[in-house]
Amino acid sequence: MTIKYLDKYPKNLAKSLWVMKPVWTVFKLFGKTVTHRSMTILYPYEKEWIPENYRGRPGLRFDKCVGCGMCVRMCPTACIKLIEVDDDAGNKVMRPQVNVGRCAMCGYCAEYCPVDAMTVTPEYELAEYTRYDLLYGPRRLNYEGTTEGMEVHLELTLPSDIQNGNPERRVRLADLDKPELTDSKCIGCKKCAKVCPVGAVKMVEKGVNDKGKPIVRPEFDNAKCIGCSNCIIDCPKNALELKEVL
Amino acid sequence: MAYSSILDWIDFFKDPMDSPYYPFDTYNLAYDIGFKLHEIIGGTIAWLINLLFPGNGVSEWLMCDYVSAIMALLIFMILIFLVAFVSVLIVLWLERKLLGRMMDRRGTMIGMKGFLQCVADGLKTFMKENTIPKKVDKMTYIWCVSLIVGLSVLVACMVPLSSRWYVVDYQTGLLIIMAFFALAPFLILVSGWAQNNKYSLIGGMRAAELMISYEVPMLILICTAALAAGSFNIGDIVYYQNDHLWFFIPQILGFIVFFFCATAEAERVPFDIAEAEAELVEGWQTEYAGMKWGLIMLADYLRGTVSCGMVVILYLGGWTLPFIGDGPIPEIVFLLKAYFVFFLMVLLRAAMARVRTDQILNIGWKVFMPLSVINLAIVIVLKVGGLI
Repeated sequence: MTIKYLDKYPKNLAKSLWVMKPVWTVFKLFGKTVTHRSMTILYPYEKEWIPENYRGRPGLRFDKCVGCGMCVRMCPTACIKLIEVDDDAGNKVMRPQVNVGRCAMCGYCAEYCPVDAMTVTPEYELAEYTRYDLLYGPRRLNYEGTTEGMEVHLELTLPSDIQNGNPERRVRLADLDKPELTDSKCIGCKKCAKVCPVGAVKMVEKGVNDKGKPIVRPEFDNAKCIGCSNCIIDCPKNALELKEVL
Repeated sequence: MAYSSILDWIDFFKDPMDSPYYPFDTYNLAYDIGFKLHEIIGGTIAWLINLLFPGNGVSEWLMCDYVSAIMALLIFMILIFLVAFVSVLIVLWLERKLLGRMMDRRGTMIGMKGFLQCVADGLKTFMKENTIPKKVDKMTYIWCVSLIVGLSVLVACMVPLSSRWYVVDYQTGLLIIMAFFALAPFLILVSGWAQNNKYSLIGGMRAAELMISYEVPMLILICTAALAAGSFNIGDIVYYQNDHLWFFIPQILGFIVFFFCATAEAERVPFDIAEAEAELVEGWQTEYAGMKWGLIMLADYLRGTVSCGMVVILYLGGWTLPFIGDGPIPEIVFLLKAYFVFFLMVLLRAAMARVRTDQILNIGWKVFMPLSVINLAIVIVLKVGGLI
């Protein structure tokens, strides 16, 4: 009977000293938090340090924007809408408006903006009293003190560059992907020239057809083109396509 | 009758020990303060009455020895309670702040580095409705909580802070304190039964289970300390340690075991199986709402303070300091030592999980009990050898 009880007794009493290990750990943590400070941040009074490219609400540099609508197409929550506003000279231009209440702060608009007009901003305290106040118009989207780091670039290294021993070179796909014309499909409607936001499309006459009317074909100025693919989307006959580098 | 100066009525330098009704054998600071306060306040009132009605008997009566002693005793009681209460509030603040730091957060932040949070909590519990469930046994339900709170306050007031700050100076003071201290688990069991709630009942049963596991080694350790000092008087034990050696050096085993037993006595983590928040809703306190719950919480911390005080008295030399002895402010020394022991308890709470109900008896009888008996044997050997 006695043996039976002794069997249940801890074999090595010193082994039960493992209980001191968490105590020591906690004591070390206590020493650390007393000499330095605890992890908690007293939020309304203190704020966390924010990196330069922190993805807060989107910002817009009005003068840089060309109104291409890339951000509208890329927004995963469909919170951006192009609206017509007056620019500084009084002309009607299209500029994005952001519904911050729906915005997911993903920063895709800033990544895909071909002219770096859309930026991310470190503003994250966006509470308002009404839903209407959450609509940020093009002028309100402006953020004072936009730095270079807030323009988020979507850059990559091409495999060809790596093969050529130049792995440091970064390129943006928007700079490389250019529209290309399938000549047989084109009907010369000049729509691509109308929708191009930067005026990179020029209609050129290339002879006459059977009925004696001029054949008009678009010609792309690749230096001006920003790769927004507006012309491709609006082409009625799908004559244009984006020639993708990768 | 001529105008009498206020100084005729107030004798600030009167020694309370000269009074024939002085209730203690030795000098008592709290009584002295009460006596002097009565000297000032009562003397002023007596002087004013004498100005209005010269030569009346009330003024004389107010300042006679008998009334002075009674009023001094009243103020003495309030003082003793206030000191115990404030030290408990400090313990509460310490617990929250230290626990916060140990969990890498800040703890309470409201007023005076978070000290006023307990005032806010007290006010909140006052505001709450005093609900009593329909099917409880009302008399037991209310009496049990009153007795638990009352006993805790009594024990907290009975712990002497120094040789001049005490309520009673019995030869068996240690035993009386421990007896009152050990009554609470019994009342917890009764109140758990009275609440007509499964959680409370299980909590009460667990309190009883906890008590049978830690009480025996604890009493053996108390007897060991008394044996080493040769007395059950708290003052004697403390001064014996001051003259020879603090008991935690020869009785390091006893110190560790007593520390854990004291944690269990105060029902703190890791021995809080009676009110295990994660398993039983609030344990035996489930049906107590509003101010009753607030008072139970206060009683818990009072018991925690008393546990720390007992560890300090038995093993850390009480209110004395090595090479200094009593010093000018022994009360503060005692409280600081108690807060240090409480810091260890908070460390334990932050580091450890709750003991399982089937483990607690094993720990009590298979680990604490043999260790305390070994400690007793060591003390007997040392005592017979004349080493301590």
